Amino acid sequence: MQQEAMVRGELRGKEKVQFRQGSALRQLWEANLEVFQRDKLALLGLFIFVFFTLVAVFAPVIAPNDPLTPQKNANGDWIKDAEPFWMAEPGEDEAEGYVNNFLLGTTNIGRDIFSQLVYGSRAALLVGFSAAIAVAVIGTVVGLLAGYYGGRIDTLLMRAADVAFGIPFIPFIIVISAFFDPSIWNVVLAMAALLWRDSSRVIRSQVLVIKEQSFVSAAKVSGASELRIIFVYIAPSILPLSFLYGTLAIAWAILTEASVSFLGFSDPETISWGYMLQDAFNSLALSREAYYWIVPPGLCIMLTVMAGFFIGRGYEEVLFPRLRRM
Amino acid sequence: MSILSIRNLKVDYATQDGTVQAVDGVSLDVAEGQHLGLIGESGCGKTTLLKAIVQVLPRNGRIVGGEIIFKGADLLKMSRAEMRQLRWREIATIPQASMDSLNPVQRVGKQLTKLLRVRGGYDKRSAKRRAVDLFDLVGLDSERLSHYPHEFSGGMKQRAVIAMALALEPSLLIADEPVTALDVIVQHQILEVLRRLEEELNLTVMLITHDISVVAQVCDSVAVMYAGRIVEQAAAEPFFASPAHPYSLGLQQAFPNLARPRDELVSIEGYPPDLREPPTGCRFAERCPFVQDACHSDDPQLQQVGVGRYAACLRSGEMDALRQQAEDPALWQRVEVAQNSPPTLNPSPKMREGLFLPPVEEPASHAPLASSCRKELGDEGEKPLLELRDVSKRFKVGGGLAGLLRGDKEQTVYAVNNISFRLRRGESLGLAGESGCGKSTTGKLLVKLLDASDGEIDFDGQDLMTMDGENLLGFRRRAQLMFQNPFEALNPRFTLYRSLTEPLIIHGWTDDDERLERVVETLDRVNLRPAEVFLDKYPHQLSGGQLQRVVLARALVLQPDFLVADEPVSMLDVSVRAGILNTTRRLASELGLATVYISHDLSLLQYTCDRIAIMYLGEIVEIGPSQQIISNPQHPYTQALIAAVPVPDPTIENPPLRIREGVPRPTEQFIGCPFSQRCPEAMQACLDIRPPQVRDEDGRITLCHLYGEHSASPKLTSDTPIQVG
Repeated sequence: MQQEAMVRGELRGKEKVQFRQGSALRQLWEANLEVFQRDKLALLGLFIFVFFTLVAVFAPVIAPNDPLTPQKNANGDWIKDAEPFWMAEPGEDEAEGYVNNFLLGTTNIGRDIFSQLVYGSRAALLVGFSAAIAVAVIGTVVGLLAGYYGGRIDTLLMRAADVAFGIPFIPFIIVISAFFDPSIWNVVLAMAALLWRDSSRVIRSQVLVIKEQSFVSAAKVSGASELRIIFVYIAPSILPLSFLYGTLAIAWAILTEASVSFLGFSDPETISWGYMLQDAFNSLALSREAYYWIVPPGLCIMLTVMAGFFIGRGYEEVLFPRLRRM
Repeated sequence: MSILSIRNLKVDYATQDGTVQAVDGVSLDVAEGQHLGLIGESGCGKTTLLKAIVQVLPRNGRIVGGEIIFKGADLLKMSRAEMRQLRWREIATIPQASMDSLNPVQRVGKQLTKLLRVRGGYDKRSAKRRAVDLFDLVGLDSERLSHYPHEFSGGMKQRAVIAMALALEPSLLIADEPVTALDVIVQHQILEVLRRLEEELNLTVMLITHDISVVAQVCDSVAVMYAGRIVEQAAAEPFFASPAHPYSLGLQQAFPNLARPRDELVSIEGYPPDLREPPTGCRFAERCPFVQDACHSDDPQLQQVGVGRYAACLRSGEMDALRQQAEDPALWQRVEVAQNSPPTLNPSPKMREGLFLPPVEEPASHAPLASSCRKELGDEGEKPLLELRDVSKRFKVGGGLAGLLRGDKEQTVYAVNNISFRLRRGESLGLAGESGCGKSTTGKLLVKLLDASDGEIDFDGQDLMTMDGENLLGFRRRAQLMFQNPFEALNPRFTLYRSLTEPLIIHGWTDDDERLERVVETLDRVNLRPAEVFLDKYPHQLSGGQLQRVVLARALVLQPDFLVADEPVSMLDVSVRAGILNTTRRLASELGLATVYISHDLSLLQYTCDRIAIMYLGEIVEIGPSQQIISNPQHPYTQALIAAVPVPDPTIENPPLRIREGVPRPTEQFIGCPFSQRCPEAMQACLDIRPPQVRDEDGRITLCHLYGEHSASPKLTSDTPIQVG
């Protein structure tokens, strides 16, 4: 017994410190940290996002030229279809009267492809993150309310989701683009208006499961208010789903923006990777085998989309402790 | 001559964290006509042994040694085709939860005749005849052959499964937990079927179960498994009279026994060893109260200790003396410690020592359960803590848009029907009955998880219905609920510290230190020591028994006056059940807690409760002091329930039951007595007139015509044997 008392005395000092700091925020931070410590793919995904975010923020510094202004040679003519300097035959540029320092060459109207690529990350991330936030937030709130309260609220929200399911996505964006000026915000708006349907459905069903579990009843019995039950007990359990749908939405949004741009409904004043592909397609870059024009934006789209999936997957594994191997 | 003989069988499971030696050198003989019961707690290798015999191990399972001789041939040397021929025809199995193994889209008769024709070589007509015979054999109406599984009750499905297992006249039947998920009355009837079949067909049966009372009722010999080994084997009667292994001793005394009530049950604390690295010495040493130094180094082998008796214990010579000592539950009492997973607080060497503390005495003698709670209903002097007056709860089902489209009419389910009772401070009341009798709904009403449709529930003079705001919060502090499934009852994303402080935070405890102190104190109370080790663990890191203690701690952290425990131990292993019950009972009496236990297990209620209320179809049909109810039940339903509880003693045979299985769905209100449909004593009056509340001198109230003014009414039923369906 004496020994036990000693052990406990020693412990008490230690663990007090530990639990003082055990706030919700800290827990969340640690959980996030854990995602990337455990899952190397998620870490890779994070690196990709961080990389593109840095590129987007420092675009004016990184990009050697303005992405929209055609580059001109000494005679004032556009430098059309210049190959990247590491592909071009030496001496060709001097003959044409310019210095070839284009990392990825120029377009058919003489714009610098590398600069376009750099600026394109801005559009992609803007669309990706805002759509992700919109989808995750709207979907989570709708799912929580519908699942927890049930009854009329549930019926109302879920029928609204049915309507959203009934609207085809790409045509919807095209219609929106027709109403408003072409802008990348159309894509964000359309995603926010429609894509909450998937996440809210899934989250609602998860809420239905969780609210029947006895730890929720236990909270009720110990006097927790409804808001506390929703946000302290249920919401954290469905958070990984929100994250998951959020990261998927990033991928979706970037893909959609690319599709819409490729179809030609985007703002010609904003460079995005999809727009670059459309530009390349229209100017027959493929038949000229100008892979330096097509592959980089494609690769960038692929990388960001993949990064989204990697992180989503990592969250799924870490935030459900039960799925973990013990 | 033995029909099945297993020699030194070893089965391994390959898992990601190493090889688990699930069955490690088991030798076992089953003689022709023998009824062997294989018992042990979960994870000790019982089911693996069964799967190894019929060779249906999961992919990662592998038989690494030994032989299984069945009728002179080694099963392990047989080809797949030969083995296939053997299964079902020679060795039939009833797997766990086999009730759900019936095909839901095919008539049960069709499934049976298909089996007979494909595997048994019957033609169409003889298969049909055989199916009728088989249904007859297990006590099912042959009209039932044309029904689908969903039209069967649980007990009927189990009967059908037994009929299927017996269809090809196997020489050996292996049943894995055949009655585990069933209600006590159904369980009794299934056991009766098994017992009858054993006699009529001279079957050889191997019954796998964790419930020793089941074994006592249907088996003539017993093998006890622990951590992948057989630790004791004996004939049933000597086994139950004088177990020869400490583990068997503990198991036997962990069971509440209606026939021989005990003051305190034994709980085998601790957990079976990790079978990835089994200990070098005796595998039970860690949990054994009689452990000696030699036990940790010498591995005891199964030795003969008497005529036909084998035990694997180094001290089997001194067993008679040990048996005497084992009667004392304090001997078995240890502290729950966090074993498997190392504490995350960077334990110092000292703390590691702290993990293996010497047993801390739990006050075993709590005998004077506060005298006030022994008082009976008749005494009106003291104000009750809780009073229910004509409380009803109705649910509407099948309505709404979907129901309208399907053409279902809205139905009312009368889950709880006009119940009234009182509960004093410090008193404990048990609610018993078959599933569907409304006991859990009552529990929810008591803590206001549901609101009553009618009637009043007064808690300390306040009506629960009208409570709100401050009053409600006050009630929430004073009334708590303990849940059935400990694996669901805690938020999986909270550390235990967080789970336990939540109630305190809700009730306005702002000081961290005070909260921590209270939490540690409460954990200590429920025997989770040292409490600090548990604080930052997550629920999935604990065992079921530990979790249930945490659930109890959470209920007690606010120091309530009233606790509802809904099937508190039904999900737990037998060996730890007693520990939870003892702790709950002790704390309730220490803290003066009024408790309502909800359980289908009357022996458990007898052990924990001052009074017992028997519920049937939402009504309390009998309520009174536990001892009187158990020893002298009045209501025919109570009589049936008590008669159905299997007794862990092979010398006491359960009397045959006279009531049908299956609770009807309470969708109508009865004019007369709700039990009249199933009652063996039913009279004319029972159909037409509501039964009176008859009160006897013990303060017991019985809702039955037998004791009222209509007791002379003409009887309805004849004494024909009951056929199900």
